[in-house]
Amino acid sequence: MSDRPAPWLAIARYDATGRARGSLVVTGLLSAFLLLFLAFFPSLSTAGIDLDAYVDAFPPAFREAFGIIAISSIEGFLAVEFYQFAWLLLVGLYLAYLAGGTIAGDVASGRMDLTLSAPVARRDVVIGRFLGLVPLVLLLNVVLPVVAYVGVLAVGETIAVERLVAVHALAVPYHLTCVAVGIAVSTLASRPGIAQRVALGALFALFMFESVVASTDYAEAGDLSPTAHYDPSGVLVLGEYDVTGAAVLLAATTVLVALAVVRFRRADLSG
Amino acid sequence: MSAIECRNLSKYYGDVRGIEDVSFAVQNGEVFGFLGPNGAGKTTAIRTLLGFLSPTSGGATLLGNDAADPVESRRARERTGYLPGDPGLDRDRTAKAFLDHQAALRGASSREDLVDRFGLDESRRIAELSRGNRQKVALVAAFMHDPDLLLLDEPTSGLDPLLQEEFAALVRERVDDGASVLLSSHVLGEVAALCDRVGVLREGHLVAVESVSDLRSRGGKQVRVRVAEGVDRDDFEVRGIMNLRVGETVSFTWTGEYDDLIDLLSGYTVLDLDVVDAPLEEAFMTFYDGDVPGPTGSGGGESSGSDAAGSGAVGSGGEGR
Repeated sequence: MSDRPAPWLAIARYDATGRARGSLVVTGLLSAFLLLFLAFFPSLSTAGIDLDAYVDAFPPAFREAFGIIAISSIEGFLAVEFYQFAWLLLVGLYLAYLAGGTIAGDVASGRMDLTLSAPVARRDVVIGRFLGLVPLVLLLNVVLPVVAYVGVLAVGETIAVERLVAVHALAVPYHLTCVAVGIAVSTLASRPGIAQRVALGALFALFMFESVVASTDYAEAGDLSPTAHYDPSGVLVLGEYDVTGAAVLLAATTVLVALAVVRFRRADLSG
Repeated sequence: MSAIECRNLSKYYGDVRGIEDVSFAVQNGEVFGFLGPNGAGKTTAIRTLLGFLSPTSGGATLLGNDAADPVESRRARERTGYLPGDPGLDRDRTAKAFLDHQAALRGASSREDLVDRFGLDESRRIAELSRGNRQKVALVAAFMHDPDLLLLDEPTSGLDPLLQEEFAALVRERVDDGASVLLSSHVLGEVAALCDRVGVLREGHLVAVESVSDLRSRGGKQVRVRVAEGVDRDDFEVRGIMNLRVGETVSFTWTGEYDDLIDLLSGYTVLDLDVVDAPLEEAFMTFYDGDVPGPTGSGGGESSGSDAAGSGAVGSGGEGR
């Protein structure tokens, strides 16, 4: 065994290194997207329109879906225009999509043959591929709060630092769950394209489901969706930190990765 | 203990047969060849041995470890090198990054030697490499941890003749050092040049296992003879003659004794006679058609000699029904 690193660590490192450039590009694009929206804020807030009255007129289901509480304050504006959309939906779907391509992609391309011809356990592959996406999640949630803070100051507003930190700290478990959904689907589908679309579609369907049932008697069923346990509007506008939700998401992540391990252990590698 | 022992190994993909009831053993220090057309089950057999596929029935051991047991399989893979014919490599990484990764997984005591020997430029991105150079990357990965067992699946596809020679030399060196090899190919020459024994796979069945030297001696002689008299084809339709062609010259493969050949020709005025070792391809076909059940298998007994002529050609899958 000697001085070789643990296989899961070697796989995670190799995967993360391969993603380094793509991760930086995505982080840059999302930063630009955030700054673009922030640049709109001053003209919106000085336009003299009662935006909160406007959004109050939206149907409850719509407000629920996009977490709209108030958008006239900088916190509400950021929550609705950026976090509910980009952070919850866009980044979540993107991560599920990326993760969906991992194991199925390796199997289909024959890369998995070369990995597993080495003394590597199937478990190590699943865990390594999962961990390989963690640096991207961390990078996004470390860089973007800084960008957001600087951007808010730049447009002449102020924002509570701890809420900004919290909205990203609580995003980490949510994003990890999205990755885990993708990894789990990746061990089920035989082709990467299918795995990616199924992972993305499943997450989106859960989000829609949660939004629709939220204003009905079956609201609790919406808890099935990862999106139910991360509420950027609640954090930014109301200062409510859903720590239980984060714990639920971390538990779900663990379960999903464990299921992926169980499934992949028994799988035939035939792409 | 054998390097590989395969007992009644079968693998079905759903209803589709990959391999069926395959049994053979590769002795320590032996080079064993899988020969068969594409789709005959060579790759399925090798991937089942490596634990990538779980057997439908039967079993196998690699270096004494159960191939179907994850823990034992991993122990075997510690000392095994695998080279696929069309390796899946990350196109957007450099050869160096890929080999670094492989080294982290399996060790790399002789990596530098191999990189030098095959003249691999590690700094290039894999997407920029030619097919042959990509094959070199996989080759280094398969050999760099000095494995005791090598599973080589169509290893020289994509290598130019010079590199094929270098590759063959490398395999021989490793065998001299005590390694055992299972090599698959649809090219008889390649198998014959490297292997001690050959197993013929056809439509998922191992239809014959033969030592290469037996195969050569069984192949008989290629005879070309020109005689003064007119030749009646029936005069040459005797025991020991195969692939008979009667024209201006009479040519055939002779599998009998020399004396009988001389007796046969004594009735003619021989103008020209040429007797050489039959090429192994011919030897193989001769052997293949005479001794093994036809590809449909279940027909039982003998597939009559008359349809023998062309049906045994390796590399022409699916015919002979």
